Amino acid sequence: MVTLDLAEMPVRKLNETLRGFGATHQNAEIINPDAKHYIGVGLISPILVRVRGSAGYYCGGLCDGPEFQVDKNASWGVGDNLLRGSIVVGGNASAIAGVGMRGGEIVVKGNIGSRAGQVMKKGTLCCAGYASFMAGYMMYGGRVIILGNSGERVGEDMMGGEIYIGGAVDSLGNDAMLVDPSSTEVESVMTFLDRYDLPFRGTLKKIVCTGKTLRYGTAEPRLRKPPFYSFSSGARHDYWNAKVLEDIRVKAHIGRYRIRGYGTSRHLPHFSDISFKKDMNDAGQNPEVISKVNLRTFIGENHGGRPLDLSMPVMIAPMSYGALSPQMKIALGIASRLSGISENSGEGGMLSSERAEARQMIAQCLAGRLGWNVHDMKRADCVEIYISQGAKPGLGGQLMAEKLTREIAAVRGIPEGMDLRSPSRHPDILGGDDLIMKVEEFREATGWRVPISIKMGAGRIRDDIKIALKDGIDFIELDGMQGGTGAAGSEVAEYVGIPTIAGLQEALDGLEELECAGRMPIVLMGGIKDGVDAAKAIALGATAVAFGSTMLIAAGCITCMQCSVGSCVIGAATQDPEHTKRFDVEKRALQIHRFLEAVRWQLAAIVHEHGYTDVRQLSRNDLVALTPEAAALTRLPYAPNRG
Amino acid sequence: MCSIAGILFKNGKRPNLGMTTGEALTEMMDACRHRGPDSAGWAIYKEPREGRLRLRFFIDRGEGQKGDMARIREGLARQGAKIVEDEALGCTYGATVEYSGDVQQFSYALERVGQLVSVGSSLDIIKDVGQPRGLQQLYGIGRFDGSHGIGHTRLATETGVHPETAHPFWATGFADVATVHNGQITNYWIMRRRLERRGMEFRTENDTELIAVYLAYKMSRGVLLEDALRSSLDDLDGTFSYLVSTKDSIGYAKDKLAAKPMVKYEDDELIAIASEEVALNRLFPGRALDTTEPPPLTCGLWSMQSTA
Repeated sequence: MVTLDLAEMPVRKLNETLRGFGATHQNAEIINPDAKHYIGVGLISPILVRVRGSAGYYCGGLCDGPEFQVDKNASWGVGDNLLRGSIVVGGNASAIAGVGMRGGEIVVKGNIGSRAGQVMKKGTLCCAGYASFMAGYMMYGGRVIILGNSGERVGEDMMGGEIYIGGAVDSLGNDAMLVDPSSTEVESVMTFLDRYDLPFRGTLKKIVCTGKTLRYGTAEPRLRKPPFYSFSSGARHDYWNAKVLEDIRVKAHIGRYRIRGYGTSRHLPHFSDISFKKDMNDAGQNPEVISKVNLRTFIGENHGGRPLDLSMPVMIAPMSYGALSPQMKIALGIASRLSGISENSGEGGMLSSERAEARQMIAQCLAGRLGWNVHDMKRADCVEIYISQGAKPGLGGQLMAEKLTREIAAVRGIPEGMDLRSPSRHPDILGGDDLIMKVEEFREATGWRVPISIKMGAGRIRDDIKIALKDGIDFIELDGMQGGTGAAGSEVAEYVGIPTIAGLQEALDGLEELECAGRMPIVLMGGIKDGVDAAKAIALGATAVAFGSTMLIAAGCITCMQCSVGSCVIGAATQDPEHTKRFDVEKRALQIHRFLEAVRWQLAAIVHEHGYTDVRQLSRNDLVALTPEAAALTRLPYAPNRG
Repeated sequence: MCSIAGILFKNGKRPNLGMTTGEALTEMMDACRHRGPDSAGWAIYKEPREGRLRLRFFIDRGEGQKGDMARIREGLARQGAKIVEDEALGCTYGATVEYSGDVQQFSYALERVGQLVSVGSSLDIIKDVGQPRGLQQLYGIGRFDGSHGIGHTRLATETGVHPETAHPFWATGFADVATVHNGQITNYWIMRRRLERRGMEFRTENDTELIAVYLAYKMSRGVLLEDALRSSLDDLDGTFSYLVSTKDSIGYAKDKLAAKPMVKYEDDELIAIASEEVALNRLFPGRALDTTEPPPLTCGLWSMQSTA
């Protein structure tokens, strides 16, 4: 055992040393830890690490394999997302111990803070003392053992797994119930306790999920919905139009909000209300135009990570494996490689075959930590923290039972067959200060190698972008109200959020207020439909744009907006093999690639027509607003005759 | 969106900590500076003197400084306060005055001549844009070696980065009461309007000022601080861990979701509270501390056993 002194070295150096030790199976003892944060984060070797004192935030976080022994206390999030291995805390552990753990064992000999085991999936979290409120909050699986008393609302909104309690239960959480444990279960718990020398003589109570709220009640009737364009234009007219009538009738049947795919269908001020000052009619006459301008864009190098290297300022927007079929995800991966841009995992884990196809892959981390794990982080080119999205800012994702198949559930680490409603806020990011802690944890886990971005729905963006800047985020993906989704309440998709151009302007204004214009790259998305929109977005101040719905349509989507139902006719947004077998991966990938090349052509033509040689020369001085609304939102000069 | 810190020596006397009370607070704040890089502030309690008040105002750092000071001095004279000593320090002007009248009327009147930071027989609030260690140097916090104080580092979220939006906040009109806060009060406007209807005044749109004024209002109605802390758990909505300090005590309250951290260390001689344990370890390097976390939806008040 080698001794490392944290009074002598920073934690970053300690973690680098530990990773080196891991490679050579060398155990380590850490002295003078003084409750410092991120001790051992991202370790993936089965070595023993003894912490001679107290550990700070995320001790043993994002690990696979090591054995940690902490002599005294551990702060928030001990064993965050643990895959395998064990952590024994001799004293108390603070809030969200074992958050999102996916295996292994965590034992706390003292008391444990609130929300222990939040969104955990597998493994055992054991507390020998008292557990504060909401232990097992939103847990999907695994086992929580509390030998002392438990605080309020234990098992709140749990969806799977088991909680055993030796002491008194203050109160049960929503959808949780007390049952008698079987003798095998008790025996299994006692064996576990013996292994960790935890004496217990009382009687165990068991708490499980009642399952009453795992599925929506009455199913929404299958309707032959009109495609997006007639759905949205119909709504612009009469009061009792077809869309409104259908809505009322369906709600009269199901008695709750409806769910659909896509974003708002209302008419909102958008890039079509903005024009270039210069006449673009002759743009693109020159067939050599792509070779004449520089579109290559690096993004995310602000904090020493290796930036994404995009052949043009374009990304593919985050869309999950689960919402989309594996075939569609692979097609996106291929297209992103062919066009030299980046693909994004979205919620719910990384599909290995897609990772292999994509040259640059962003791993997205969501509140439910579905599919999240250290190995995908390590093989990603960028780590993204999802805060919210444009179609449903402030709300979590939804995946209906029809799409939550065994395969998808396994990747996400959760039970199959429920109407999955992902949490809307992160267990460990409850404010800007917590976000700093999370970002640092991710930097430690990836060895400070990759950029860290956040995805944000346009809401309170003027303030939020300032927080992102102060928290050391490398870039933000900003999603306006026109952005799509695989499933959202229809009112939310329709009415919540702010338009994409307004979101961008507010973000830019926020940076301006801090005198930090240009210091936070913004990747804009939300209803961006071609290279012309992209050029306008970049001229207005975005660094790049991302395409989501556009990619699906390029791959053959018929815009029926029934993405949530799970029977997508082209096999893009379904997990049903009957439908996915129609999806020709190679053909669809080439369609997407050709579309992206059309975007490149348009971007290059517009840049060239302005007499520029670099896409970054486009500026807001090149733009005018065609409508009073767009002028008001962007403060561009109002020039209605330029259209 | 911040970090908080507080330290109180139970018998009023400082044991051998190897650093002054000011340095101890600064070190705790520095350990948590990652939680709040924008600004920092201290509420420290100096020796009270009979018939005297300590006042601090924000003043211009540049050309306007002389004018600001002259206006404040004139205003003090008009209110019948005799200046014993005064000096400009950073972006503030501090004065000790002889005054024995009603503090609330006095301070509301002084607001017309300058922007008050704090008033008290022993309270002195120092706050500015910057980081704890740098500001400690500038404002001489390290020289403070009294019985107790609270501190804060701030990450600005909804209001701007200015000295006046930094914490601690003085409970306007109430001598010697200050608060620091980590979190967000979500029913801010409802509570603010309720207090404004009762004649309370607000200087910023910062939710921590609301906590200070809320507690002060309750106390002005004869409610004990301990009871005001308790009722704040019901009246304030949102996420919060906050500290309040008076001339002989430090109190805390923590919301029902325990969304914001707070850790406490206590021994025979002192109580130290901070957002993170790493801050407490700055006082006792190399030691594994017996710490506790105040449970959700609780409050508490620690007083000195005897004031020296």
